[in-house]
Amino acid sequence: MSDLTLNIASLPGNVGVQAQRSQAADICARTGLPGKRDEDWKYTDISRLTATLGDAWWLTAPTAINSDATSLATIDDLDAYRLVFIAGQFQPEQSNLPDGVQLRPLSELLQNDTDDSAHCLFKLDESAPLFNGLLAANSALASDGLCACIGDGIKLDKPLYAVHVGNSTAHTLNGLMLGKGAEATLIEHFIGTDSDQAGLSNIATYLRLGDNAALTHYRLQLESDKQFHVGRVEVKQARDSRYTLHAVELGGSLSRADIVVNLAEPGASCALNGLFVASGRQHIDHHTRIDHNAPHCCSRENYRTVLDGRAHAVFNGKIVVAEGAVKTDSAQSNGNLLLSKHAEIDTKPELEIYNDDVKCAHGVTVGQLDKNQLFYLKSRGLSEDEARQLLTVAFADEILVAMDIKAVRSFIEKEAFSKLPNLGDLEGVLG
Amino acid sequence: MLKIENLHASVAGKEILKGINLEIGAGEVHAIMGPNGSGKSTLSNVIAGRDGYKVTAGSVTYNGKDLLAMEPEERAWEGVFLAFQYPVEIPGVNNTYMLKAGVNAKRKHQGEQELDAIDFMQLVKEKAKLVELNESFLSRGVNEGFSGGEKKRNEIFQMAVLEPSLALLDETDSGLDIDALRIVANGVNKLRREDRSIVMVTHYQRLLDYIEPDFVHVLADGQILKSGDKSLALELESRGYDWVKEEAAA
Ligand SMILES: Nc1ncnc2c1ncn2[C@@H]1O[C@H](COP(=O)(O)OP(=O)(O)O)[C@@H](O)[C@H]1O
Ligand SMILES: [Mg+2]
Repeated sequence: MSDLTLNIASLPGNVGVQAQRSQAADICARTGLPGKRDEDWKYTDISRLTATLGDAWWLTAPTAINSDATSLATIDDLDAYRLVFIAGQFQPEQSNLPDGVQLRPLSELLQNDTDDSAHCLFKLDESAPLFNGLLAANSALASDGLCACIGDGIKLDKPLYAVHVGNSTAHTLNGLMLGKGAEATLIEHFIGTDSDQAGLSNIATYLRLGDNAALTHYRLQLESDKQFHVGRVEVKQARDSRYTLHAVELGGSLSRADIVVNLAEPGASCALNGLFVASGRQHIDHHTRIDHNAPHCCSRENYRTVLDGRAHAVFNGKIVVAEGAVKTDSAQSNGNLLLSKHAEIDTKPELEIYNDDVKCAHGVTVGQLDKNQLFYLKSRGLSEDEARQLLTVAFADEILVAMDIKAVRSFIEKEAFSKLPNLGDLEGVLG
Repeated sequence: MLKIENLHASVAGKEILKGINLEIGAGEVHAIMGPNGSGKSTLSNVIAGRDGYKVTAGSVTYNGKDLLAMEPEERAWEGVFLAFQYPVEIPGVNNTYMLKAGVNAKRKHQGEQELDAIDFMQLVKEKAKLVELNESFLSRGVNEGFSGGEKKRNEIFQMAVLEPSLALLDETDSGLDIDALRIVANGVNKLRREDRSIVMVTHYQRLLDYIEPDFVHVLADGQILKSGDKSLALELESRGYDWVKEEAAA
């Protein structure tokens, strides 16, 4: 692990950032990668990372990408401000940034020795929920990302669309701050190229919502099928702010995301919508943690997974209601559709409630396609495959309809269900 | 035409159909009546191809083809339609989308050109009028949140759209109030054609006041005990089923 320190000397950032980098490198060296003994990693074996990428898994793999993002499967009919990152590096000539808001790539901020605005992004809190060595590696090594500050009362007229391309190893650090009453939509889209190379996308995204601010956040993971993806989304919400996440997991070999939301002030609300569609030997894991730290906050969580082949998904939804967080309103639901008898889901709601004045509902379902529904559709003339496709899409529909940008929604619909060719594997399950 | 010979079928190891013989010619309307639990739905389901039934003997042929060897969708392509006794709700699957997929699969099977969205919408709106189904139901999830009566109406609407040559109506009249029954029955009557056979499964004679059958059969304990014309239904209405059973046992 100590090697990691050697890598940071060449990275951008002023003295302050460098100091934080070496602290992070030390933490990473000390904590190492999470292991099976770690309760939060019980079902996700991250040793696959070292097995594939070697002991120096954090190293930036040689970048063999010269492609430009326009040739890739991005969401084309989307009217948005585009920020393109290839192999973790910002591509100014492929991007178009909005005027009138502070929005710059991290790499640019780090070049300016007198600019301290990036410092806070590099600061680590080891006691934070779901903290781990991967996040420390991110702080130690991140050299680019999106940094934006949407001022008070500003409503961004178009979504920010950050496209991250590459099968390479990249540590990306994003920070987005919304001032009082500000409104924005952020779309993070992770895609691979058709190269066979495997790498690690290590993405940390810090979001701060001021009083009454509203952020809609799409996190679309469509990496290539050998890629490792680990991410952390950390949200801190001030009074009456509203955060909506649409987390879509379609790609990658192993993908893990930690979603940590702090409802810090009264009246804040969040909605986390998740959709996994996995097949083959894909492994997808979301750990979500919502802290109700103030009265009258509301959280909604709805995750749906569709698993085929030997795919394995993990969902852990932890909700912690603090002592003073009276009138908490929280609901969590997790539905799982297993299209194959070899697919596997580990799902666990976790509630920690420290006061009596709360409303907390949660529910989990795991099942196969309903054979009465299948028969009904077939009796109307739909083929077996068509009927299965349709019921699978219907199962995911609840998550899809919540996506308010039509272009994103139809893109995801298309990508999600073109990847389930193996619908024949059902025989034994339906009996 | 449909030809059922010596059909035996069991569910979960229990024999339900015990030697059914029945022929249904093109354009004929048959009523199959019988007490609850006599095997009426089992018969309909076996013809439509539902899983879970084991045919232990006998045959079902339709226009000379072995229906039992076909998948449910293939039977639909051959013109078989089942109006379900208990139509299932399929949230998230659009009613019209399902029908379009069904119609086009059948057209494809028959070597006809598929309908485009505009032509299909026109067809669907026209057929909805037949059962006085509000257009708002067209874009809802299949039977999602429909009342019992709306579900039955939706079944007949689907029949109108899919244009089967053999329609099996399993207790389409149950759970309907008089007004709804009249609407549904009117719809069915408008769908009567010389080349379309209709089998009405019911245990109420009431439906037959509105849709006049050519033949009436009594199904009890897995067998057709008696067949006759419309007057048999009236007799059943006044005398119940027991006398048929006694007569058959004698
Ligand atoms: N899936 C099943 N499992 C066990 N028994 C069944 C099943 N379906 C039907 N049966 C039994 O078969 C018999 C006939 O049922 P059914 O065909 O539904 O009768 P009907 O439609 O005439 O009321 C009943 O005794 C019923 O309990
Ligand atoms: Mg019945």
